[in-house]
Amino acid sequence: MNKPRIIFSSALAAIITNAFIVIITVWAELSAPLKDWLKNFSGHHWTSKSIFSFLLFMIIAALLYFLSSQSGENRLKRILIFLLISIVLGVIIITAFYTGHHFQLF
Amino acid sequence: MDIIAFLQSKPVLIGFHLGFAIIGIDAFLWLFGKFKNPGDSRRSRIITAAIGVAAFIASWFIGGYYYVVYYGALVKPIIKSGFAPWAHNIAMETKEHIFLFIFPLAMTVLAVTLLDKKELEQFKLRRLVLWLSGAVAGLGLLIGALGFIISAAARWG
Repeated sequence: MNKPRIIFSSALAAIITNAFIVIITVWAELSAPLKDWLKNFSGHHWTSKSIFSFLLFMIIAALLYFLSSQSGENRLKRILIFLLISIVLGVIIITAFYTGHHFQLF
Repeated sequence: MDIIAFLQSKPVLIGFHLGFAIIGIDAFLWLFGKFKNPGDSRRSRIITAAIGVAAFIASWFIGGYYYVVYYGALVKPIIKSGFAPWAHNIAMETKEHIFLFIFPLAMTVLAVTLLDKKELEQFKLRRLVLWLSGAVAGLGLLIGALGFIISAAARWG
């Protein structure tokens, strides 16, 4: 078990998953066909987003771990800082988007 | 009322959703303390993080069931027709989506707990892992505060 590679794979997969959640959330609010597709996939758009985000994280983390040849030791600190930044940005973007949407700014 | 019907009732679902979320938040706050205290073992950090991840998964499933089955049909119309429709449009929409950030973040913190004290020092992650554990707990608390706003809006219109 390569511990640095597990952490690196998980952190990068988390960043990609966070980006996916933000993009699919904003896109689905602005595109009725996409939101309908998400609803039809599982019965509820949020359930579909939950399933896709879970699968995306697990699959990307596993792929990165098994396919990467580098241990990731030197990149651990940087990737974890990017993960923290992605969380803060994700919360800000989603909050700002729904606030703007409520006040019909877009 | 059989046990399945009891478990599927709205107050029980809300109680378990909140209860598991509190266990998850507390576990990551506890983990924060464990990372601050150099004397704590790697095994105890792994167990604490695993309890936190499991609790957040349980909260995700139970809250999701309540949200999909009851919230849209019973609670959302009350909030949308009341004096604070923003409680759904902003607070609920934000809450349900930022909740999805918790699982990947918590899993990554769980992965970091695999490192022993020496490796944490070697990779210079001691301070960063405090931020990461705090971020999981902070995100959970933010989601809890949004939940309070939504419940208040539903109760008082």
